[in-house]
Amino acid sequence: MTPFLEIAGLRREYGSFVAVNNVNLTIHKGEFMTFLGPSGSGKSTTLYAIAGLDTPTRGDLRIEGASILDTPPHLRNIGMVFQRYTLFPHLTVAQNVAFPLKVRRLAASVIDERVTRMLSLVRLDGFAHRKPAQLSGGQQQRVALARALVYEPPVLLMDEPLAALDKKLREEIQFEIRRIHQETGVTILYVTHDQEEALRLSDRIAVFSKGVIDQVGTGPELYASPATRFVAEFIGDSDFIPCTVSAHKQGKATVVVGGTVVPGVPLHGDGGGSATELMLRPERISLCRHKPDDVAALPATIANITFLGSHVNVATVTSGGGPIGVRLPFGHQEISGLSRGEIVWLSFDPANARVFR
Amino acid sequence: MRSADMGLVARPARAVRTLRLSPFTLTIPASALLIIFFTIPVLVLLLRSVLEPEPGLGNYAALLGSTTYLRIFSNTFIVSAVVTLVTLAIGFPVAWTLALLPPFAGQLVFGIILLSMWTNLLVRTYAWMVLLQRTGIINKTLMGLGLISEPLPLVNNLTGVTIGMTYIMLPFVILPLYGVVRKIDGSILQAAALCGATRFQALRLVFLPLVQPGLVAGGLMVFVMSLGYFITPALLGGTANMMLAELITQFVQSLVNWGMGGAAALVLLTVTLALYALQLRLFGTAGLGGR
Amino acid sequence: MLLHWNGLGWWRWCLVATTAAVACFLLLPIVFIAALSFGSSQWLIFPPPDWTLRWYQELLADPRWLESAWTSLKIALVVSALSVFVGTIAAFGLVRGAFPARNALKAFFLTPMILPVVVLAVALYAFFLRIGLDGTITGFVVAHLVVALPYSILAIGGALEGFDKSIEDAAILCGAAPLEAALRVTVPAIANGLFSAAVFSFLASWDEVVVAIFMASPTLQTLPVKIWATLRQDLTPVVAAASTILIVFTLALMLVVALVRKVAKST
Repeated sequence: MTPFLEIAGLRREYGSFVAVNNVNLTIHKGEFMTFLGPSGSGKSTTLYAIAGLDTPTRGDLRIEGASILDTPPHLRNIGMVFQRYTLFPHLTVAQNVAFPLKVRRLAASVIDERVTRMLSLVRLDGFAHRKPAQLSGGQQQRVALARALVYEPPVLLMDEPLAALDKKLREEIQFEIRRIHQETGVTILYVTHDQEEALRLSDRIAVFSKGVIDQVGTGPELYASPATRFVAEFIGDSDFIPCTVSAHKQGKATVVVGGTVVPGVPLHGDGGGSATELMLRPERISLCRHKPDDVAALPATIANITFLGSHVNVATVTSGGGPIGVRLPFGHQEISGLSRGEIVWLSFDPANARVFR
Repeated sequence: MRSADMGLVARPARAVRTLRLSPFTLTIPASALLIIFFTIPVLVLLLRSVLEPEPGLGNYAALLGSTTYLRIFSNTFIVSAVVTLVTLAIGFPVAWTLALLPPFAGQLVFGIILLSMWTNLLVRTYAWMVLLQRTGIINKTLMGLGLISEPLPLVNNLTGVTIGMTYIMLPFVILPLYGVVRKIDGSILQAAALCGATRFQALRLVFLPLVQPGLVAGGLMVFVMSLGYFITPALLGGTANMMLAELITQFVQSLVNWGMGGAAALVLLTVTLALYALQLRLFGTAGLGGR
Repeated sequence: MLLHWNGLGWWRWCLVATTAAVACFLLLPIVFIAALSFGSSQWLIFPPPDWTLRWYQELLADPRWLESAWTSLKIALVVSALSVFVGTIAAFGLVRGAFPARNALKAFFLTPMILPVVVLAVALYAFFLRIGLDGTITGFVVAHLVVALPYSILAIGGALEGFDKSIEDAAILCGAAPLEAALRVTVPAIANGLFSAAVFSFLASWDEVVVAIFMASPTLQTLPVKIWATLRQDLTPVVAAASTILIVFTLALMLVVALVRKVAKST
């Protein structure tokens, strides 16, 4: 199967600053791919390179095998929705949506029919004659979406389109975007710094950090098996416990944590040094009042217990000094009677932990 | 409606010649116009001051050595200074009041200021020529009120010029000052009152310092404009009381002495540029000029 | 409290009195001239012994007054159009460009506005004498264009800077070539800046006196030059009549601009 959209060896330099450093990614047709990362990580720069609004220093961009690098942006036939509302202020909603079709010199009847269809798709029938200034932020972004899709582009780019909206509105429009994706089947590249949004919308997520992609995968893959420390920290909550690597073989390491030896921990990265940190998800840690004899366990002192509805966060401090947060479901047997200052034993399945070097 | 139904992935780059002009190229028509019809002619004029009638600084020696010319320079300077001070003194209270007036009254006053500013300069100067003449209404009123027994010479002298220039320059002071006063946060002055300051103290210690940048900027602008002003001084001052701009014109038009004309122009330009450099140093982006 | 009416006490009245006095000071000369243009006194005595339309009749009967007005209008319209055109192109270059000399170039474009216009007038006079453009309409237009261009660039550049470039980028991605996007999307969006530039440029040329005095010839005069020449000789009330017409013209223009602003705001 020919990959649909390929980013090959993309690099963007601004003088001595490298915004995008050798990004490689293959996107499948009809996929909802999110570029996730903090600001300055290169995700928007990559998106703008695909749009043609920015010229990369090196690398190639291909759609269905053909390079689009030399195609000027207005001929790339790619749809884009920006973070700032970019509706044409002097045109009505209908004229805005009709614009790409007008520019392509389509017949008036065809234009009218498509515009009506698109406004229906984004559920804004009846708004055709309003001006952008009369619309709310959410409505404006929906018009922008209609305008970007009306010429049925193979790829739709979205650059943090919901960042300017309040939370409730954001969730509403996220739902709309998902629905439209399913109804149209268009390939979507979505940029955001909000991991929850990424997890909600995407088929796959590419996590950007400092100009490179740390990992690409589905939400569950990134959550359960983060490939780098950055991904582990960025997606979901994680605990990091100081440890040393005493031995390693075939991707599995034996680590020493606070005097306890734990073998069989998945190891990522090949940096040197033995002093590093062990990563654990808070809900993968078991908490016992008495020391278990069948698994390796760490002693810890309870610092705080926070009730959060469906789960309880127990903050502890280990003898090594590092804090560990444990997340237990509400009603868990070990919580009742737990109090601050009490000593408990924390244990975990080594396969659920990670060590990054 | 699947995107697979749509035809091509990217529109073919047919015979579409996208106009790729760099932003710099776009500035060339304007630059060319200004360089050919502004910079070069002015530089040539200034050059002539040291080349005609013979190379050297003879023109400058003549300018700065003669009492007649020096008097013209000092007249220009004094009139400009007086106009600046008077417009600032009158303009500041007006700007202050404008910031406080209710909408209708404020718009009315604003409209009057704009009308005055937009009305043709000649019309306004002519009005003062008529008002200030010996049989004009001002003298008649003063005599009628018994304040004077003989009509005052208010025109064809520097008094008339000063009055006329003040009239012209007032809007140029009031409007920027109004902008400055409007931006001041009223709560600062309320805080001063709460701290126990009297109105005089608040004015002296808080309000005036806050307005001072506007006063200096406005004052500099009016001063520079007055130095180079031609029309109003020429019409209201009479030939015996020339100011610098009229001197330049005389050299060039009546006497066809380009050397001296250029020299006088250079003197004016130098002072103007020096004052603008001062303003830039003080405030960053400079204000606008006039005629 | 100095910025609230209540906190001012008796100062309030001083301020109001000063402002009223200044407003009258600014307004009265204009009203006065308009009134006098209908007065019968040749020496502009106020109050006039009688009222008449004689000066207006003299004004409209003299072909040279009408000619000078027509010349002014022609020149001002051409200057306005050229100024907006060249100014728009230059503004795009300045606002969208990132070349090193950009700020210096911006300052350079504004210099005709800050330097004393008498220097420009004299310099251009000398230059045009040499190349034979003095006393020609072309010379006039070029000279006034130099005066008007900075206003254009300021007004249009300001409007362009306030315009979000992403909107133009969106138009490009919608399929419009860069020039098409600029013309179809950006230019209509900055229309108010273009309008301001057009009005300022028109007025700059229409009202311009100093440069015009040097560009004029006995057969080619703009209205300000005609007024100036007449005033050099005497204070005839015919000038008052011409002045009143100009004042009415100014008022009408201010109204039009205010109306256009109101209409633009509501859409």
